[in-house]
Amino acid sequence: MTFAELLRLALSRLRTSRLRAALTMLGVIIGVASVVALVGVGQGTTANITSRLAGLGTNLLTVSPTGRGGTTSTNLTVDDATAIGQLASIGAVAPEISTSQTIKAGTESETVTVVGTTNAYASVRAYDVWQGTFLTTVSVDQKLRVVVLGATTATNLGLGASDIGKQVTIGGLPFQVIGILQAKGGTGFQNPDDQVVVPVGVVQKYFVGGKSVRSIGVSVAKADEMTTASAEITSLLTERHGLSSTETADFNVFNQTQLLDAATSISGTLTLLLGGIASISLVVGGIGIMNIMLVSVRERTREIGIRKAIGARGRDILAQFLVEALTLSLLGGLIGIVVGLAASAVIGQLAGWGFHFNPSTVVAAVVFSLAVGVVFGVWPARQAARLDPITALRYE
Amino acid sequence: MLDAIITLDQVSRVYSMGRMEVPALVDVSLQVHPGEFVAIIGPSGSGKTTMMNILGCLDRPTHGQYLLAGTPVAELDDDGLAKLRSLTIGFVFQSYNLLPRTSAIDNVATPLLYQGVSRRERVARARAALERLGLGDRLDHEPTELSGGQQQRVAVARALVTEPALILADEPTGNLDSHSGAEVLTLLHELNAAGRTIVLITHDPDVAEAASRQIHLLDGRVVA
Repeated sequence: MTFAELLRLALSRLRTSRLRAALTMLGVIIGVASVVALVGVGQGTTANITSRLAGLGTNLLTVSPTGRGGTTSTNLTVDDATAIGQLASIGAVAPEISTSQTIKAGTESETVTVVGTTNAYASVRAYDVWQGTFLTTVSVDQKLRVVVLGATTATNLGLGASDIGKQVTIGGLPFQVIGILQAKGGTGFQNPDDQVVVPVGVVQKYFVGGKSVRSIGVSVAKADEMTTASAEITSLLTERHGLSSTETADFNVFNQTQLLDAATSISGTLTLLLGGIASISLVVGGIGIMNIMLVSVRERTREIGIRKAIGARGRDILAQFLVEALTLSLLGGLIGIVVGLAASAVIGQLAGWGFHFNPSTVVAAVVFSLAVGVVFGVWPARQAARLDPITALRYE
Repeated sequence: MLDAIITLDQVSRVYSMGRMEVPALVDVSLQVHPGEFVAIIGPSGSGKTTMMNILGCLDRPTHGQYLLAGTPVAELDDDGLAKLRSLTIGFVFQSYNLLPRTSAIDNVATPLLYQGVSRRERVARARAALERLGLGDRLDHEPTELSGGQQQRVAVARALVTEPALILADEPTGNLDSHSGAEVLTLLHELNAAGRTIVLITHDPDVAEAASRQIHLLDGRVVA
């Protein structure tokens, strides 16, 4: 018997007991759908974390003060940043100091994070300018009251492309809008698009006071020099801050890549865990198939006897029941993939990271459901194949 | 005579029931030649069913030699028996034994499926067999939609479709009313007249009358 003949037999059999076939498949559908959906969610999370961290800047080192200092009591200065910028391995350096202020444009106002920094900030933190210009050396050096708006902030204030050059007030002081940034697409807490950027000296002069900065963002020229650069910065700052080698440093050099690696590894583990839990339901679905196939063999004992009497060999019966189990599991698997992909698309849409289609998950789900069919179908099929035709024919 | 379809030579079949050995057939020897219509007749317990199983290659003799169309049956394994049944024997059972929830034409075509005949040819031959038996308008009916007489005619069509050397009918009229039973016997007669070899197994002397030769079984032995 060819496979096509067996498939025809199996399908016509499933057609005659549709409800039972549907309920049996439901176990596999739920199993496969939850594996596909949960793995999809896990991969979506991973991709989301990765892209958000990458969006913070490439080859990024962050120098920040240690200890429980607030923004005002840190010991990093703009001069430290300038000194770091002299190192050979460094691409760009931007000192950062931030404060929370009310920004007003006409009648619209909101409380926003004001970042004081230099013109290098855009390249260090990977921002693109959508309209107008970014901070310039001149505006930073002369501490001009100019502001570059984040995309979300601009929208919230009702400002668009035509509003470059307009006046807004920050903490009551007038500022001129010189640019609007390209959206990065983050959401929620610490939205990178909901902030405004002004020259570092302006924040120090009008809002915070003092010479210190909250942190220094460093973009390293080459990805493989991250460790070297980190060591160079550490020794430079140790010297500049007059610390001996035995003293605990009053600053910390933080490598973005480490965080990225850690986050990726955590969410990878989570994906594996979710997939593993979902696989349990797939196994339960497989047991459902085995159960139904065993009942079916019992019910169809006489049919098996007839088939054997009119010429079926044991292997024909084995193949018939095995293909039936496979058809159930594969059909269930395919429906489950569709349901699972739909579910992960909906979840991705709601969570805001979009739909991540991974062909290898689909292939794995198909292979897995076929395996379920074989593993849980073989035993009932063997029971059927081994029936003695004389006994089976007389079975009532 | 080498050209006999069935040759039983000193065949015995003994069932082991625990320590007891129960002989169901004892030293049976007989021959059936091509074109014969033979009835094997005996009361219940005479070994008819065992005889049917042995002749139908559903079972093997414990002792003795059974040649079916020249093939020594005792030497075959289960797959070999299945193949021999498929190629040589057409069964007609008392309780029809049609596949449930399967149309008449698919029922008749199924033996050909196990011979590896293509679907197109299977359908054509099954249709022809059913039409020959006057069931041309019942091709797509399932067994539950057919009368007992019609079901038995579908079963005869299924037995004929492989053009077997031997038709083995086990109480083919047992579940039928006298009218339908007579029709089936007439049908067997016609098939025999057309050259088919038929072995009919029954307990009913009136049914056995339809055959041209009768073999009487009693307590597992051929008595006449």
